[in-house]
This record gives sequence, C-alpha cells and structure tokens, in this order.
Amino acid sequence: MDQRAILDHQFTVAAYAITWAIQLGYLVWLGLKWRAQKRAVARPIRSPR
Amino acid sequence: MKKLGLRLYAALTAALMAWGFYQAIYVAPDEQTMHEVQRIFYYHVPSAMTAFLFFAISLAGSIGFLALHRDHPLRAQVADAWAVAGAEVGVVFCTVVLITGPLWGRRAWGIWWTWDARLTTTLVLWLLYVSYLLLRRFAAGPQMQTLAAVLGVFAALDVPIVYMSTRWWRTQHPAPVFGGGPDSGIKDPAMLHAFGWNIAAWLAWGLLILALRYRIERQQQQLLAHQAQAALDEI
Repeated sequence: MDQRAILDHQFTVAAYAITWAIQLGYLVWLGLKWRAQKRAVARPIRSPR
Repeated sequence: MKKLGLRLYAALTAALMAWGFYQAIYVAPDEQTMHEVQRIFYYHVPSAMTAFLFFAISLAGSIGFLALHRDHPLRAQVADAWAVAGAEVGVVFCTVVLITGPLWGRRAWGIWWTWDARLTTTLVLWLLYVSYLLLRRFAAGPQMQTLAAVLGVFAALDVPIVYMSTRWWRTQHPAPVFGGGPDSGIKDPAMLHAFGWNIAAWLAWGLLILALRYRIERQQQQLLAHQAQAALDEI
C-alpha cells in the first residue's frame, strides 16, 4: 500500500467512525433524556413555587 | 403489540445499516480517480438527503403550529413537537454532512474547506437550525413557540438554496447525483446499489430517532401542562 492509499483509508475510516459516533451519541442522549422524563412523570407533581 | 412493532422496526433498521455498510465497504468498487476515499459518499449524501427531509418535516410542523395555535391549541402542540423533532434530528444529520464533507474534500481537493456556494449555504443552514434550537432552549414565555415557528419557516428557505447552489453558481462541489445534467448520476450498478441501500438505511435510522425525539417532546409538553395545572390548582 502506498502513502496515498493509506491516507485515503484513514480518512474513510475517520468519516465512518465520526458518523457513527455522532449518531449513536445522539441516541444515547435521547435515551438519557427519555429516562429522566419517565422519572419526572412518576414523581408527584408539585407546583414550581 | 406496539412494543413488538417498534422492536421489529429497530431490528430491520439495524440489519439495513449493517447491509448498507457491507455494500459501501466491500461490494462497491473503488472510484477511478478518488479511489477509496470516494466511499465517504455512501454516508455523506444519504445524510444530506435525510437532513433535507427532516428540515421539511420541521417546516411543515412550524407552518402547522402557526396555522393552528389560535383555534386548535392542542393540535398546534402536536405540530410544534414535529417541528422541534425534525429540526433537531436534521441538525444531527447536517452535522454529519459538514464533518464528512471536509474529510472527503481534504483528500479529493487538497483542502478542508472552501467558501464555495454549496458548502457555505450548507453551513448557513446548520447555523440557522442551531439558532432555532438555541432559541427553544433559552427563550421563555408563551411567545417562544411562535417565535421558533417563524424562525423555522425562514430557516427552511435555505434548503432549496442549498440544493440549487450547484446549478445557480459555479462551485467546486460535484454536481447533484440526481437531476444534475448529463454528467451527473452513478453509472456503475454496484455503486448505485450501495448508494440505494445506504439511503434506505439512513432514512430508516433517521425515522427511528425522529419518532423517539417526537415522543420525548410530547411527553415534555404533557409534563409542563400538568405542572401548570397543579400550580393553578394551588391558587
């Protein structure tokens, strides 16, 4: 493999890995938000005062 | 029954993602001039298409909210939930586009970024929707949803400008894959299949997280309504 092919490979891997990191990171954040909201719903409602 | 359907859909999405990845990496041939780095295309372009679709959903939700909020407040809340869900998931996909694009550009053009019309209008689109989300996050009061809906409508005006930018101005960015003239399009059937599978996969994934984000927003609206009712009951 020449230098150009190695760099091409590294950039392609980086693009795929970053895409997955963003998408899965967002899914995890949504999951945490969902769980926090479930807990808030289960708690007895008190006025903001 | 609903849970089973959701699990089946999630399993189908995971299978599509795996199949799309296999097609993009192992089945599609190397492009003649850009070689391996051209495979970024199979994630970059479907992400852009999905972002456009979700910004269109956000636009529909914003228009729906503005049309309904006086006479049908409950239905307007549904429209508003779609608007915020579409905008947020669209920003996630647009972020992917703005990161994978420069990675590809660095190898194909030798530069990370250029203030070319397609790149600049896409960055402006991302900034507009990020400002929409920031407005929703930090503004308070009854006018917040209305202001956000108006901004959502204006932000969506940039989507056709991004799409048409390679036709209207001379750009470094390649011509659109579909409808971009005689030089556009994918000639190799294996590349076309890989591209098609990745569009299906990212669309399925996007719809899954869109549905989840919508559900969270609706739950948040209901929680706030209950809190407001409890506060009124105490008076």
